[in-house]
Amino acid sequence: MSCGTPHVDCGKVIEAVYLYLDGEMEDDDCAEVRAHLKDCAPCLREYGLEEDFKRLLARKCGCETAPDELKSRVMTRLREVRLEITTVEFRTD
Amino acid sequence: MSRRTPGVVPHVLACLDRDDVVADDVTSGHRLEVSAVEETLEQRSERFERTALPFLDQLYSAALRLTRNPADAEDLVQETFVKAFAAFHQFQEGTNLKAWLYRILTNTYINIYRKKQREPKQHGVDEIEDWSLARAAEHTSTGLPSAETQALDHLPDSDVKDALAALPDDFRMAVYYADIEGFSYKEIAEIMGTPIGTVMSRLHRGRKLLQKALYDYALERGIVRSSTEGAQA
Repeated sequence: MSCGTPHVDCGKVIEAVYLYLDGEMEDDDCAEVRAHLKDCAPCLREYGLEEDFKRLLARKCGCETAPDELKSRVMTRLREVRLEITTVEFRTD
Repeated sequence: MSRRTPGVVPHVLACLDRDDVVADDVTSGHRLEVSAVEETLEQRSERFERTALPFLDQLYSAALRLTRNPADAEDLVQETFVKAFAAFHQFQEGTNLKAWLYRILTNTYINIYRKKQREPKQHGVDEIEDWSLARAAEHTSTGLPSAETQALDHLPDSDVKDALAALPDDFRMAVYYADIEGFSYKEIAEIMGTPIGTVMSRLHRGRKLLQKALYDYALERGIVRSSTEGAQA
């Protein structure tokens, strides 16, 4: 794939789409990608698609609220564990 | 009981996997000297309730995506907190508590539920489908027309959750941790106990599978038209 901008290969830019969107790219490389996207509509489109998709997931599968019952269950269980720890420490002393 | 294990109940300790709780890189790179400060059980409990328990909703969300059902998710979260508390004296405040808790959650899930489910062997997927091969097979990254990704927004949340649930475990975790939890590759690698290259490969494959699944849902629901239809029209 080529868009006529000779400085960076489109294939390399597309290959790096996740590194870029996931914030895993060095600043210099980010600048290079941005410069490329400014002049390359097909690559820009691909980046847009992947970004939309990433956002879609975050929106649709985001935070659920744990049932209140679970919260009290966890607290109760932790109290039991604490008690067991206390007992063990007491015995070993 | 003659063995003295300060702060850890022996039977809880016995069920802990060493890897579950080891305080390593995931805690930000430099390990501080553990047990430099003696902490009473009271103080530790207070610190745990203040810093770890607020992650309960988030961990429950992750547990739901991992186990795919509320009952198992609740058990997994409870087990995670018990293990985390039992090992909390090893954890240093100010380091990456969230990643530490997710690592315990992930390992607990793998050790208990994945075995229980007796799923067909999923390891080897990474090796079979080489990262560069998978990449070469795709000329465009999504294969979807640009208007269509926007159309996916109209899918009900349940479709997106179902599609995520249908992914193989390792891909599902990688995608969930990156896109929903926003963990870095390094953190995901620590949480899943795999090299960063494996995380990248799983993310790539997982996202492609998910995109395809969502596109199929959208086709079924008539939200998008197939590209061949579009071309004929």
